[in-house]
Amino acid sequence: MSVAVKSWEALGTSVHVLTTDPHQVAAAEAAVREILQEVDAACSRFRDDSELSRLNASNGRAVEASPLLACAIATALRAARVTNGAVDPTIGAALGAAGYDDDFSQIAADRGPITLHAGPVPGWQAIRFDEASRSVALPAGVELDLGSTGKALAADLAASAAHTATAAGGVLVSLGGDLATAGIPPDGGWRVLIAEDSRVEPDREGPVICLRGGGVATSSTTVRRWRRGGAVLHHIIDPATGLPTTGPWRTATVVARTCVDANIAATAAIVLADAAVDWLKTRNLPARLVENDGTIHSIGPWPDPKGITA
Amino acid sequence: MKTLTPIDRDRGLQRLRRLTFGAAAGALMAVLGISYVAAASYAGKSTSTSTSTASAASQSSTGSDLQSSAQAPSTGSSGSGTVTSGGS
Repeated sequence: MSVAVKSWEALGTSVHVLTTDPHQVAAAEAAVREILQEVDAACSRFRDDSELSRLNASNGRAVEASPLLACAIATALRAARVTNGAVDPTIGAALGAAGYDDDFSQIAADRGPITLHAGPVPGWQAIRFDEASRSVALPAGVELDLGSTGKALAADLAASAAHTATAAGGVLVSLGGDLATAGIPPDGGWRVLIAEDSRVEPDREGPVICLRGGGVATSSTTVRRWRRGGAVLHHIIDPATGLPTTGPWRTATVVARTCVDANIAATAAIVLADAAVDWLKTRNLPARLVENDGTIHSIGPWPDPKGITA
Repeated sequence: MKTLTPIDRDRGLQRLRRLTFGAAAGALMAVLGISYVAAASYAGKSTSTSTSTASAASQSSTGSDLQSSAQAPSTGSSGSGTVTSGGS
């Protein structure tokens, strides 16, 4: 079965939309573009006019969030809850202090040394959120970053919207390497190349898994990184220290029921360090962990590289 | 041993009632105090269980734990993929 693909840039990353029916790819693209514009307007940390920026500047006042921002906050709080705080949305100020204070394309150049202070982030329990009224209040100084779960949520929403727009067949949406699917997959499943960098072309040599539903997400310390005063920093913050993680894994890929769940688990695996293996096994989540020296570990029901299927 | 008069017995029973009431009131205050501390400690939790108005995302924002996919992935045959999962 042939698959049609449309690609472009949005949310500071690459977007790929795949449909099993080539005639439906334009409709799918339009639906995805609309969702991504709404997510950007609601959840961007780098747009002064975004809802999230206004919330982060609300100085302790309660704000009524839009349904989309409320959903993103609920998703981020769930991530914190199910990971016991390993994935915490109150890392916004820590990310900014580490130098990630602008669109990533603007921070790549070394702008000189910075001083980092170790200390726990405020913690998700500091967020006052009522899901029914969509009222949210952050203590003064607390900044949310929804970049991790927000991107995965956008992928899930976009895949659902694209599937609705196409009416039949299957859809896959990739946002910077976080993948969500909807509908009927191609024969044999969606063929996904597993890499450490989402910019690797899918026809390159490497491990390929076949996905028949759900989502895949990869978190890595090797791609979104920058230099300050000669030191290399990256964007995955350990909420316990407020600093970029320093654990044994440089990349984690997880398959789950949704892209959000896959993303939560992949990010948690990087933060949890050695404890990640048992944590993933307990949840029966297929995962692939790459050590800092390149050693690869297949966790739980991750497909056996020798068990080739057509 | 001194034999208790009815007056002595009534006084003893009244003292026992006061002690029982004091113990119950103290226990109630302790429960209320601990409950308040517990509620304050978990303030970050949502105060409602109603579903999000962004209904399409309800699967992504709910659930008590992470969910594995209904069908586990399988290994692809040798050859290329159609999309890449990686860091960004």
